[in-house]
Amino acid sequence: MKQFGKILKFELKNYAKNKAFVGITIFLMVAIAIVMFFPRITALFKSGDTSDTTKDLSVMLVKADDPTQADMVKEIFAAAFTDYNVQITDAEISVIKDKITSGDIECAFVMNGATSFTYYVDNLSMYDVNPDIATGVLQQIYQMDAMIGSGMSPEDAAGVMSIQINAQVENLGKDQMQNFFYTYIMIFALYMVILLYGQMVAMSVATEKSSRAMELLVTSAKPINMMFGKVLAACMAGLVQLVAIFGSALVFYNVNKSYWGDNGIINSIFNIPPELFVYMLVFFLLGFLIYAFLYGAISSTVSKLEDINTAVQPVTFLFLFGFMVVIFSMTEGNVDNLLMQLCSYIPFTSPMAMFTRIAMSTVPWYEIAISIAVLIGSTFGIGVLSAKIYRVGVLMYGTTPKIGNIIKAVWKA
Amino acid sequence: MILELRNIEKSFGEKKVLTGVSFKIEGGKAFGLLGRNGAGKTTSIRILMDVFPANSGEVLIDGQPIDYSKIGIGYLPEERGLYPKKIIIDQLAYFAELKGLSLKEAVKSIDYWLERLGMTEYRNKKLETLSKGNQQKIQLITALAHDPDIVILDEPFSGLDPVNAMLLKDVVKEQISKGKIVLFSSHQMSYIEEFCDSIAILNNGVVALHGDLHDIKRNYPRDRLVVRTENPDAIIADFGSACTFMENGNLMIRLSDPCEKKAAMTRLVENYDIDEVKVFEPSLNDIFVEYAGDAAQED
Repeated sequence: MKQFGKILKFELKNYAKNKAFVGITIFLMVAIAIVMFFPRITALFKSGDTSDTTKDLSVMLVKADDPTQADMVKEIFAAAFTDYNVQITDAEISVIKDKITSGDIECAFVMNGATSFTYYVDNLSMYDVNPDIATGVLQQIYQMDAMIGSGMSPEDAAGVMSIQINAQVENLGKDQMQNFFYTYIMIFALYMVILLYGQMVAMSVATEKSSRAMELLVTSAKPINMMFGKVLAACMAGLVQLVAIFGSALVFYNVNKSYWGDNGIINSIFNIPPELFVYMLVFFLLGFLIYAFLYGAISSTVSKLEDINTAVQPVTFLFLFGFMVVIFSMTEGNVDNLLMQLCSYIPFTSPMAMFTRIAMSTVPWYEIAISIAVLIGSTFGIGVLSAKIYRVGVLMYGTTPKIGNIIKAVWKA
Repeated sequence: MILELRNIEKSFGEKKVLTGVSFKIEGGKAFGLLGRNGAGKTTSIRILMDVFPANSGEVLIDGQPIDYSKIGIGYLPEERGLYPKKIIIDQLAYFAELKGLSLKEAVKSIDYWLERLGMTEYRNKKLETLSKGNQQKIQLITALAHDPDIVILDEPFSGLDPVNAMLLKDVVKEQISKGKIVLFSSHQMSYIEEFCDSIAILNNGVVALHGDLHDIKRNYPRDRLVVRTENPDAIIADFGSACTFMENGNLMIRLSDPCEKKAAMTRLVENYDIDEVKVFEPSLNDIFVEYAGDAAQED
């Protein structure tokens, strides 16, 4: 136990002295500070700016052969597209195209009648909804005209068109829309930390082996102490980094809370239910440990530093598979699909899969309990096994041995 | 204190590495563990240090199974290496702490050894900034800083210049005089001959020869004569195929029975122009080649 404490202390000191580790942590904290202060900074600049804002708006041209239609469309579009400076034009289409490609104007609607138009834009963005808005507006005009034409008074017609539907949603489970962002951030943090620190553990083991410091270490310390010391130090360093980053985000958010107003995404991120934090911590710790043990064990069988990446690839793929399943299920909006349910019990995928289901869906307590119990058991088992592989692996030099040979050697040792 | 390896057997997979390896090492005496590459020296040392267990056999101290929590072992591995990018005092203290010293004790002892080996000026430098010989001296400190009962030195003199080799010799002699068990493993026979009272030669995982070096030499069959002469041809004509030339140009005559040596000597002195004739006494090198050389391996 005393020896384990010394190894843990030594490894932690390595992280504290590691310039990359300290640098990345500080860099991320600064980046988060900038993001969190962003609305305050923009508000600072906006407050002095009272000039005519229409000048800054991008230009949208409207062209119609019939001047009355042109006037009407311009008026309606100006109301519908408040982000644009809507202007009428009677220029040729080729001229309009040139203006768009040269960047003088952003887009143009050329009306081919009351129910037909062509939309011109330089690069159609993925999020460009202008044609949809225009379609909706023109549909409304056509319907209004039709109703008035069939004898309805304009007021009645307007009343029909603007009828409000009173809709109420009563959510009995969780609001996936609201949970999506913070779940995504937490899963992504889990992904980054496990990969980053898993590789760090692998690197640390392989460096000791390739520099032959291992020759002395194996004769000075018990392999189980070495393995657990290294992995727990990485885990603590990872936690410290996460706390520093999320903590600074929370502090800076509270400092600038009033400037964020009712930004739904940001507010949902900072209103994570506390019990979810506890689950995150549990799954983070167990998920981290299980992968760090695997990375440590595998890298102990590698003789040259450059072979690490190839050797740890199967583990990285396994991890990536879990991550992909979770992300696809999240974007698909069904986190309780069969694959996710299966992944919730497999120790290598459950840290992400079960956590996502808890965050975005309603999972019975016993399922969570089973998942965590399986995970704890496997983490302990893999920890012990990896220490055994480590003991055998660190003394194997030459080409990286096959998994079968390692298992045989561990079995016989 | 007597360290004893008794009937050690070890296999890695199908490959048998050690077969019934036994030897004894007394405290206050140095012991040479010899053998060609792959003979099983490092495996024996690792079993002795409990890096991995033997399939069967025992490691005993004064007849009792060794208690690793009580017996300190210092090890200078053949494959040298520490943390190249770490400060010397930090890593030396770490290794000493792993061996059970408190930080304070560790630093005190390391400072003593740094001074003893003339390395104090490098205390707060990174290891990689040192020359190979100096790095080796730092490595030696990891083997000695915790004042171990057993000191295992694997090729301790390789890579050292004559001045540093002398310094290391003094340190080793000091350790021996303190009554410690010192185990050498080396291919440099001259050092083994200089320090070691007893040896074991491993050949293909079997102890081919074990015992007191003087006894081994004394008990070596005294059936060969070394003759220094200006006219070897006449002697060769007389003794025939029993004669061979040695590397230094002397003639060696192998007798069919050691009892014949007096008669043979008389015959040589009376009949031929001889500068010198004596009974052949083998060097450790000769013994090693005989017990661990190709001819021995084929047996």
